[in-house]
Amino acid sequence: MFDTIENWALHAFVDGELEGDEKKAIEALLARDERARKAVAAFAHQKQELHRAYSAILDEPVPAGILAAAKGNGRPRLTWALSLVAGLALLGVGSVLGLNIAQHFDQVQQASLANRALVAYQTFAPEVRHPVEVAASDEDHLKAWLSKRIGTEIKIPDLQDAGYTLLGGRLLAEADHPAGQLMYEDANKKRLTIYLTQNTGAKEQSLALADSPGLVTCYWRDGALAMAISADMPHDAMMSLAKNIYDQMDDKS
Amino acid sequence: MPSPEFQRNLLVELPHLRRFARALSGDAALADDLVQDCVERALKKQHLYDATRPLRAWLYAILRNIHISHWRQNAPWGHLKNIDDLEGFEGSVPAEQEHNLSLALITDALNHLPPQHREVLVLISLEEVSYREAAEIIGVPIGTIMSRLSRARSTLQRILEEGGTTVLRVVK
Repeated sequence: MFDTIENWALHAFVDGELEGDEKKAIEALLARDERARKAVAAFAHQKQELHRAYSAILDEPVPAGILAAAKGNGRPRLTWALSLVAGLALLGVGSVLGLNIAQHFDQVQQASLANRALVAYQTFAPEVRHPVEVAASDEDHLKAWLSKRIGTEIKIPDLQDAGYTLLGGRLLAEADHPAGQLMYEDANKKRLTIYLTQNTGAKEQSLALADSPGLVTCYWRDGALAMAISADMPHDAMMSLAKNIYDQMDDKS
Repeated sequence: MPSPEFQRNLLVELPHLRRFARALSGDAALADDLVQDCVERALKKQHLYDATRPLRAWLYAILRNIHISHWRQNAPWGHLKNIDDLEGFEGSVPAEQEHNLSLALITDALNHLPPQHREVLVLISLEEVSYREAAEIIGVPIGTIMSRLSRARSTLQRILEEGGTTVLRVVK
């Protein structure tokens, strides 16, 4: 349309960047060239449209949160407050924001229970040749061995009704206390694990869910045991399976 | 502690910061978050402000940096959200909502621009900063500003012309 210099000069003209001879040169161009006039009109029209769309905001009252921040007394927003709580919890720092230290510590423990179960699942569930240390054929031995090492009596739930067959289990090394992993498999070779460890704090914790990509973990603490079930399944299916397992572990018979 | 004068000047700039953020992000809630972050950062970094330079340009530069890091973190979701916001606007829009339509149309058009073009266009065509100021805010030579501006305007023109037919069809 125009050579390069004139093209940018038209923008500069519209934006009030030109003075003196440069400005006069463009005015002369506009007087004789309709395409240049149209281009300048189009750029100016864009400016009008932008103002029509956005400039009403200049007359709006400024939201209170922004005003408070500008006066130097902004409060942390929810996301910050949550990360602050998480940060304090990780540090084990004392009672801030009205929550006590024990609560923080519990949250950390819970998170780490689900997390340790997840790591164990990710490590061993994909194993083709060595998914377990002790096979299901040795179930009695597995139960006795894990009970002894974990330090409390465990049961090995029967999940046949849910379509999962026991493959076996293994002992897991953990920083504080040994843990155990039971592995199951359904007809499509999809695996499910149960992570078991001593409930050292002897705190009760009802069933809770933790999501990670392609995996859901349901965990709880009851009596002497802390447990976490990990599998790739919908939340409702996981909850009903977890309740089934919970009942079997609780059965005193 | 921030000086009272700095704070007073900051308050004056808030409406302009909101407009800049809104046009830059295309999302009202996100825009006000950006402004709040910008204001908090400005107060914290007040000692870095050169009082011989325009405060507004300094604040635009801060807000832009926050927006870029936010955009990098959230790009896929931000984009989806924009599409959701616009969904259905092409359907049956009463003529009296022409202003909103214009906002939707221009926001949609801005969303089609590469971010580097969009920020230059918004700074110059809406916030009306000089080419030199834009170059300082973004940290590129003036020549780069001019070539981005030229390309942004060409793209915007094309989109608005296409969208213009949509508007006519819709309000008929």
